[in-house]
Amino acid sequence: MIVKFNLNTKPVEVDTNPMKRLVDLLREDFNLLGTKEGCGEGECGACTILLNGKPTASCITNAIHAHGGTLITVEGVAETPEGKLLIDCFDATNAVQCGFCFPGFLVSSYHYLLNDGEPNLNKIKYALSGNICRCTGYHKIFDSIILACERNKVK
Amino acid sequence: MNSPRKFDSIPKLRGIWKYLDDYSLPGMLHGQLLYSTCHHGIIERITFPDYYDPDEFTIVSAKDIPGTNIVPEPVCDQPFLAEKEVMHYGQVILGIAHPDRRILIKFIKDIRIKYKELPALIDVKECLDNEENHFGREITIDHSTDELPDRNWIQNKSTFYTQHHEQAYLEPQGIIADYNPGMRSMFIRGTLQCPFFVKSGVEAIFGNSMNEVIVETSEGIGGAFGGKEDFPSLLAGITALLSFKSGKPVKTVLQRSDDIKITTKRHPSRITIETHTDPKTQKIMRCRVDYRLDAGAYQTLSPVVLARGVLHATGGYFIPDTVIRGRLFRSNTPSNGAFRGFGVPQALAAMESHIDRIAENFQVNPAEFRKSNLLTKGKELPTTQMIKENNLSDCLERVLEKSDYHRKKTEFEKWNRTHKDKKGIGISIGLHGGGFTGNGEKVLNSEIKIVIDRNADVEIFVANTDMGQGAHTTLSQMFYESLDHPSNKCRIVLPNTSKTPNSGPTVASRTIYIIGNLIRKLALDVKAELGFNNLQEYVSSHIGEFPREFRDKFTPDPSVDFDEDSYQGTAYKDFSWAATVTEILFHKDTYHIEVIKSWSVLDIGKVVNHAIATGQAQGGILQGLAYATSEYFYKPGFGRLTGFTDYALPTAMDVPEIDVEFIHTDSNIPKGLGELPMDFPAPSVRNALHNATGILIDELPLIPERIQPLWSENRDS
Repeated sequence: MIVKFNLNTKPVEVDTNPMKRLVDLLREDFNLLGTKEGCGEGECGACTILLNGKPTASCITNAIHAHGGTLITVEGVAETPEGKLLIDCFDATNAVQCGFCFPGFLVSSYHYLLNDGEPNLNKIKYALSGNICRCTGYHKIFDSIILACERNKVK
Repeated sequence: MNSPRKFDSIPKLRGIWKYLDDYSLPGMLHGQLLYSTCHHGIIERITFPDYYDPDEFTIVSAKDIPGTNIVPEPVCDQPFLAEKEVMHYGQVILGIAHPDRRILIKFIKDIRIKYKELPALIDVKECLDNEENHFGREITIDHSTDELPDRNWIQNKSTFYTQHHEQAYLEPQGIIADYNPGMRSMFIRGTLQCPFFVKSGVEAIFGNSMNEVIVETSEGIGGAFGGKEDFPSLLAGITALLSFKSGKPVKTVLQRSDDIKITTKRHPSRITIETHTDPKTQKIMRCRVDYRLDAGAYQTLSPVVLARGVLHATGGYFIPDTVIRGRLFRSNTPSNGAFRGFGVPQALAAMESHIDRIAENFQVNPAEFRKSNLLTKGKELPTTQMIKENNLSDCLERVLEKSDYHRKKTEFEKWNRTHKDKKGIGISIGLHGGGFTGNGEKVLNSEIKIVIDRNADVEIFVANTDMGQGAHTTLSQMFYESLDHPSNKCRIVLPNTSKTPNSGPTVASRTIYIIGNLIRKLALDVKAELGFNNLQEYVSSHIGEFPREFRDKFTPDPSVDFDEDSYQGTAYKDFSWAATVTEILFHKDTYHIEVIKSWSVLDIGKVVNHAIATGQAQGGILQGLAYATSEYFYKPGFGRLTGFTDYALPTAMDVPEIDVEFIHTDSNIPKGLGELPMDFPAPSVRNALHNATGILIDELPLIPERIQPLWSENRDS
């Protein structure tokens, strides 16, 4: 079927199997390779996207769910002012290690920054609870987001 | 604090850094593995589904291998592809390729294999408790005095078990193979740690039928932790065979559910420690260790893990009369392999728990008991190596002070009397030898190369990969800081076996310690040879001499000698040291351990990049804490776990506060860091649980179902 949605601020349509996983649709049909598959069961969060404004595991969500909706991937987030701010903060703390999970973390932290934005450790932990990082022990990720929240408020 | 930014953070965050699955080649097929679901058996029949069309699928079996069907490893005993008999669940039987990955996965699900089942050993304790079940290989470190224990000495004996532990790198295993029939050459790209290991693997499977094998890593390696040390050789061999047979490029990226079931894990262990302690001095006088690892169905690299394990078996303690015996045991589970720590986390888990047991027995404070027995300057390891520094005691003193250990311990005892839940605080200490064991670095004879071009841009060629540790940022930093050259004019070239000299594998906490120090030496040698103060100015005024290449090789320290037969001598020239204190809250209703805070003090010598080193330490410490609390891979009666839903990795909600401090950073030598943070934290949790509840558990992980019966027993008695 023809699936139509808004992808990173642009209207798109694609003729696809409506049951195709969104992670495959994004990577194969739109060549958006920033969305990573880490576990394939919605547990690790490396494939996180924003679907109608909500962080969503694209490895367990089918294409049909995007129909008529709005979808933002890491590539879209990276172009926004808040995304750029977060990227700068993650970079400044040397938080990134292997980096495979970070596109997902960027999407989740962007959602937090937009919808709450308080530099509160417990709230940030909760906001990131759907993203697994095996390298960092999370603390530099928290530090980066707190830094971004503080800088975003000042702005 | 000196912390230059990583060169790859921004592209990784933007999603444009390329991991293995982000590469595609024209006409590429997808590969997957068909593996055994029988623990031990003879393959009687393989039945393909009715719709199977041989023109559509490429299938390789052991019969298609033109070279040797054995993966090159320290012990060459594991086949790439099973022939008739399967020795474990997850043993690969066929490689299969098809243009459409989804059709391929469904096809593999529809294949039926009939086995004649044979007796199988899959339980960790059954494997390790049975004396007869070992592979026959044995290491003994004999530092005994041949004297009988004094009759006043107090004997303590404990047997400690640890379970499988999954690396859980976020990027699954993946390889692309591209065969060039005209050149009879094979190009391999992979998410892997050791390009030259994979090159040997692919050369072995083809023998004389391949002129050249070139291995290059993907730009991004999404974590490895040891898990991409040896398995990529097997995956590359099979994927290359699919490319050879089909004449097309083939990409095999494992699904997580396959990756977690069939790849290597940390070795389960059973370690028995028997000590005799002098009650007057509170010094341990005599120690006997029986160190056993479950290697799985094949030995592969397990002897090397065993060697490191026995060499760290007495932990950070000096015991004058010691004998350590190490053996490998067989089971019908996938061969266990490398995982950050490499035999040391098991050794320390047992020793650090045993130390608390003795302290409990003597009714002395665990901190004071440790201090009485610490490896300090002038003391000897069981290998006779002399310790030249007091850095371990400095780590311990500092961590006790900053965690306020003694005050908290008293305060918690009081608090626990009036509360149902219990607070606890525990200590553990650790050490890790940098670089390959014994004469390993001499044998490796690592070589590096740099090329300085006409703009004074420097390309550094090393085979060591950046799998997230920040190695390429730090190695480059070690070069440009040595010459005061601009950071943006130095870079590490993506490792490629046809361009990069063999500077050895990315393992054994050796990348900064061995290769980084070699880079620094080469930089200073170049400076001395050319006689410049400023490289940029020198190149500008001698432009005709450039581009120019310089090489250097590892120079062994002649005073470092190790006897591989007797296990006497210097096993590791430099050790890194650490001490940790962990605070927990034990929840009585759920038997759950909540780790509240962890303090660690590490001595890794000079810290090259403070932010990178801190991130490495924090990540390793969380792995170590989770090894103690939640990561349980194989449950009796349930089988091997199948993914991240049932394998309980710590999330952002689970992570305690982690305080990390480095001491003795004014040293000139950056020592090993990679593995140490994973080695030492786990037993501190066990010791904190002991402090909180009085329960001594001699097994990891400390899951509620293990604590509950002991809690009840404790209360009943």
